[in-house]
Amino acid sequence: MKRIFRAVISVLSWKQGIFFFILLLTLGIVMRSMPLAVQEGIVAGALRTVYFPAQWLVSSVDNYIGLYKENDQLRLENARLRVENDLRRESLAELERLYELVRFDNKWDYPIVTARVVGKNPGRFVTTMVVDRGSNHGVRAEMPVFTVDGLIGKTARVAPFYSQVQLLTDPNLKMSMIATRTRVVGFLESSNGSDLFAMIPTYAEVRVGDTLSSSGLGGVFPKGLGVGVISSVQKGDVDVMQQIKIDPFVNFARIEELFIMLKEPDWNVREMLE
Amino acid sequence: MIWRILAQIFLFVMCAVLQTTVASWIEILGVRPDFFVIFIVFIALGRGAAVGALWGFIAGFSQDVYAPAEWLGAGTIAFTVLGFLVGLLEERFITLNLGLKIVVLAIGFFVSDFIYYLLIEVPSDSLTRIFLTISLPECIYTVLFATLVFYLFSRKNTKKNHVKG
Repeated sequence: MKRIFRAVISVLSWKQGIFFFILLLTLGIVMRSMPLAVQEGIVAGALRTVYFPAQWLVSSVDNYIGLYKENDQLRLENARLRVENDLRRESLAELERLYELVRFDNKWDYPIVTARVVGKNPGRFVTTMVVDRGSNHGVRAEMPVFTVDGLIGKTARVAPFYSQVQLLTDPNLKMSMIATRTRVVGFLESSNGSDLFAMIPTYAEVRVGDTLSSSGLGGVFPKGLGVGVISSVQKGDVDVMQQIKIDPFVNFARIEELFIMLKEPDWNVREMLE
Repeated sequence: MIWRILAQIFLFVMCAVLQTTVASWIEILGVRPDFFVIFIVFIALGRGAAVGALWGFIAGFSQDVYAPAEWLGAGTIAFTVLGFLVGLLEERFITLNLGLKIVVLAIGFFVSDFIYYLLIEVPSDSLTRIFLTISLPECIYTVLFATLVFYLFSRKNTKKNHVKG
């Protein structure tokens, strides 16, 4: 055992380490060139066995810090409420009204689960995030995810207590959307993991400032969830479509809490998933 | 030796925690420091090319599992190359002052970003814009943090040497 350990150490501390480097590089290239299904298998396996449990540890630290801050705030609030007992009751009534206001937004009549972001894609582009709600809370894959500002994406992989949310900036996520003024339907995509683009037929009249929302086609997103505002319009490489740059309603880098709509995908999507 | 490896694992976990939690708290206009790059450069300068490449591989893979599945391997390759190249300037053989370390980090940052963007096939027309709007601000922010880290560790090492002397 000791000999094996020493052998590993001697490889690691070898002057140039060139062979070791080539080995790692080859592994990286093999991963890069694998079929998508195998890549997804590797990612899912790594997330399930290492990264989600690790995320749990990280979020525990985060929770602890959050609880500490919350505790401080509650103490302050408690002191204030003792002095203003009447106002407290008023505030509670107001809180109930606000709660109802939040619930009214659910015009799609699907249950909604609130979730907290516990991890983000640590890379250059924010394309996925991890939230603290999973299958034990009723969350399944392919459920719409949004904030009070608008649509942000859908659930991709779901564990019992965690889910991975695929954001609209993920190049793999393409969705059908509709221009709210002209009612023309197109599709939304992000080719580079950073900017959002919509492809709309050239004949359709759209202009900067028009808003876009989900069209309800495609079976995952319900109709009418706001996506963003058109910031520039230009004809694509092919004349039949025009490429439209979108300023999303949501700042993806600043999402802390979000809502998951417990809407199962339509039968056609379910069939494809199965 | 085991303690050294444990220390590296501990540092890596700390970086992962910083990158997934603290980085978003301290972001300015959507720009976050990249603690993984600091970690890889720090380890590679101290421990050499092989160890740098290994930690680059691990950090890159950790980044890849949260990225779209078809990008798998891009971050791994970029960070492995970063770790290896920086590790060639290992401090046992070459003495680098704080300024040079920072220059190495900045160049390494851009090289690994360039490799990453090439591998994920960022359209060529948006490559320059992404470099200017994402890579450059993040590089500057990362350099600021790295300066602090390298300065603190160099002070610690200087004190150790004084005690030994």
